[in-house]
Amino acid sequence: MVRRSVLLIKTGELKVLLRRIFVALLLLCSFLFILLSKVDNPAVEEIGKTVMRLTGPIMQIVEYPARIAHRAYTYLYDISRIYIDNRELRAENRQMLILQNKVRSLEVENQLLGRLLNYIPPADANFISAKIIAESSDNFTHILFVYIGNEAVKKGQIVLGEESVIGRVDKVSGQYAKVILVTDINSKIPVVVERTRARGILSGDNKEMPSLIFTRSTADIQEGDVIVTSGVGGMFPSGLPIGFVSQIHGSDIKVETMADISRIEYVRIVDYGLSATEYDTTEGAENAQ
Amino acid sequence: MRNSWQEKLRLFGLRSIPLVVTLVLMFLFIMPINSIEWGYLRPNVGLICVYYWTLKRGYIFSYFSAFIIGLLLDVYSSSPLGMNTFLMMLTVVVTTWLAHYFQNSSFGGGWFIFTLTALGIILLKWLMLMIYFGRLISLNEALLNYLSTALFYPLIASINVWAQKFLPQERISE
Repeated sequence: MVRRSVLLIKTGELKVLLRRIFVALLLLCSFLFILLSKVDNPAVEEIGKTVMRLTGPIMQIVEYPARIAHRAYTYLYDISRIYIDNRELRAENRQMLILQNKVRSLEVENQLLGRLLNYIPPADANFISAKIIAESSDNFTHILFVYIGNEAVKKGQIVLGEESVIGRVDKVSGQYAKVILVTDINSKIPVVVERTRARGILSGDNKEMPSLIFTRSTADIQEGDVIVTSGVGGMFPSGLPIGFVSQIHGSDIKVETMADISRIEYVRIVDYGLSATEYDTTEGAENAQ
Repeated sequence: MRNSWQEKLRLFGLRSIPLVVTLVLMFLFIMPINSIEWGYLRPNVGLICVYYWTLKRGYIFSYFSAFIIGLLLDVYSSSPLGMNTFLMMLTVVVTTWLAHYFQNSSFGGGWFIFTLTALGIILLKWLMLMIYFGRLISLNEALLNYLSTALFYPLIASINVWAQKFLPQERISE
């Protein structure tokens, strides 16, 4: 009887010990993951992709009723604004018709000048539309999960919302892709100020408006200036609009994105056929200077 | 009868309740709502659930469940893989220790202890992210995340209280 009790105590102690070892191993494993993430280890990347592949279908099911509810709300909201929108659109249309004529004449002029210079235009870009199925799980990060189906999407491809850049593809796993938004802390895009061609880096800091950094102190930048991609580093082609300068406080320049990220349901993933799809944006930030 | 496969299946089902409820809540809270404000106010549902189940039914909520929840939080964010996993594991360790003293605390008591635990965990996450990225991250984000998580606790915990009713009162045998 006594021997049996001693045995039971020892078994209990052993269980506690094994449990502690298991906990220590899991903690160690998590810490190891962090270190391996820092050096972009492919094994860690593969774990992330596997989890995405397994949970993506669940997200698609969960997303469906939420989308219906949101559409109903948007429909009612749009109806309430129909008169104001109509008036604004008519005014905008008049402006657009004037611009359209200007664009046509510029296009012809451009073609003529291109022929004179023997200029070879870049290849047309291919794009796919993808539905957003999930957002970031916390406010420390700004990402989107999109359903791409069986389309060929690669890491690094550009993501457009409406007509401007909103981010880039970070991970592709099965029929799903993870998109890092321009507002995310991981995002760094070489840009230029369209008006003055002043270079800089558009750096996300998890806030609503990313910052324009690494600009020369003498650079001529004003509120309202349009910010476009510079094409430095080869990841983004040059001239894609991102946003416009919204606030300038000394060296702190804030850029408001052109696309209203919060209202986007579908995104366009564009393949410009650039070779540097695995381009490291941090390196790009340094090289741009 | 007790060792039959049906019984084993039943026990497995019961043990899975905390993890399943947590996963469902997590997925519901990362649905695209198309609201920029919601993006900033999104609470850390994983943290609330891990804390609640460890405090109330620690014997049924395994460390491995916390590991899985952390892994999912990492994948559905741009945090480095392992960061939320580490923090969820740490939450279990801390809450297991707290459970020795506060397991039978009232709902309000549990909420109060959670506000202290969550503050520590979210501040640690903020520090770890700053070290990882090597740059300053606004403390406001951490505080906002903390406040929304603390304020959402009653709602999330109530759902967990409801789910807990499906579990037997006595300890489930190994």
